[in-house]
Amino acid sequence: MVGMSFLRTAAAFTARLNPLKRTCQASNLLSRTVARTEQVVVRHGSHGKRMFIIKPTDFYDRRFLHLLKYYIILAGIPMAAIVTFVNIFIGESELAEIPEGYEPEHWEYYKHPITRWIARTFYDSPVKDYEKMMALIQIEAEKAEMRQLQLEVRRHMREKGDGPWFQIQTLDKNLIDHSPKSSPDN
Amino acid sequence: MPKDHDKDVYPEPPSRTPVEDRQSSLPNPALILSKLFYYSVDLPVTTFRVCLACLSSGKKSHYYHQKFRRVPELTQCQEGDYVCYYEAEMQWRRDYKVDQEIVKVIQERLRACQQREGPSYSQNCYKELQQFEQVSKAFQSRYGDLGAYASARKCLMKQKERMMAEQQQA
Repeated sequence: MVGMSFLRTAAAFTARLNPLKRTCQASNLLSRTVARTEQVVVRHGSHGKRMFIIKPTDFYDRRFLHLLKYYIILAGIPMAAIVTFVNIFIGESELAEIPEGYEPEHWEYYKHPITRWIARTFYDSPVKDYEKMMALIQIEAEKAEMRQLQLEVRRHMREKGDGPWFQIQTLDKNLIDHSPKSSPDN
Repeated sequence: MPKDHDKDVYPEPPSRTPVEDRQSSLPNPALILSKLFYYSVDLPVTTFRVCLACLSSGKKSHYYHQKFRRVPELTQCQEGDYVCYYEAEMQWRRDYKVDQEIVKVIQERLRACQQREGPSYSQNCYKELQQFEQVSKAFQSRYGDLGAYASARKCLMKQKERMMAEQQQA
């Protein structure tokens, strides 16, 4: 074993010493050294040798990014086109004083045409929302008042006992058998 | 009588916009930059907007500022009249927004004045400074530490505390 390594180092040393004069040495085969050929610059007409590069898969990442771009652009381009054309061809509204005797519609209080369209098509007027809220508050206030009244009335009826609530049904007078009571001292 | 001081030795400060008196032959970088900005950004954008204005349809729609009627305040509502409370609360919120915008306008004025006057703003912008101080003090005393969940009730209670403190002092 030691002799083998000694041979190997010797072969390498001689090879380095005399690079030109390198016959096929038997020690080459024994010591597994590869004869180093001269480095010659070669010009290929192509991109070089085709390599199969081994790397982890990027299929899922690329698929995800592709789908992301696709779905964003699918809605993005129509939206961008619509907004551009609205801004160019319709344009924003101008501020004006409210004319005499004229009640503007609720969407006429906004500037941008798309905001106006949304307010006109989807939203209720703020006045209507205000009135709806006031109606809800009125209903709840009446409910609260009713409940307070009911508690008060319960208290009164329980105390005084002359009202229709808290009446305990007693037996009919005519069903009482008075016959044992006519002779008390049996 | 001793003669007055030599006006050339201690010249008076120039009035508002001084005429520039360049003494170096180097080109003014501010001028170069402003011209650059004008030709590269300002002119194209302005021509674009003018073209758009020509292109858009002639008839313009208008938008208005909504005018709200005054309703009875919280102090004028009957106790238990929740609808009145709601209307007073909404009115108070609108007034709060208006007051915030007023403060912003006064701040903007002071900022513009300071920018104009430069280092001598504490003398030249005296009116704006006084106005700003007054307005911000008033805003602080009325709406000061009410917080994010401010309401008309809390503001009323704050006013009550203020009046009590004043009475205590007097």
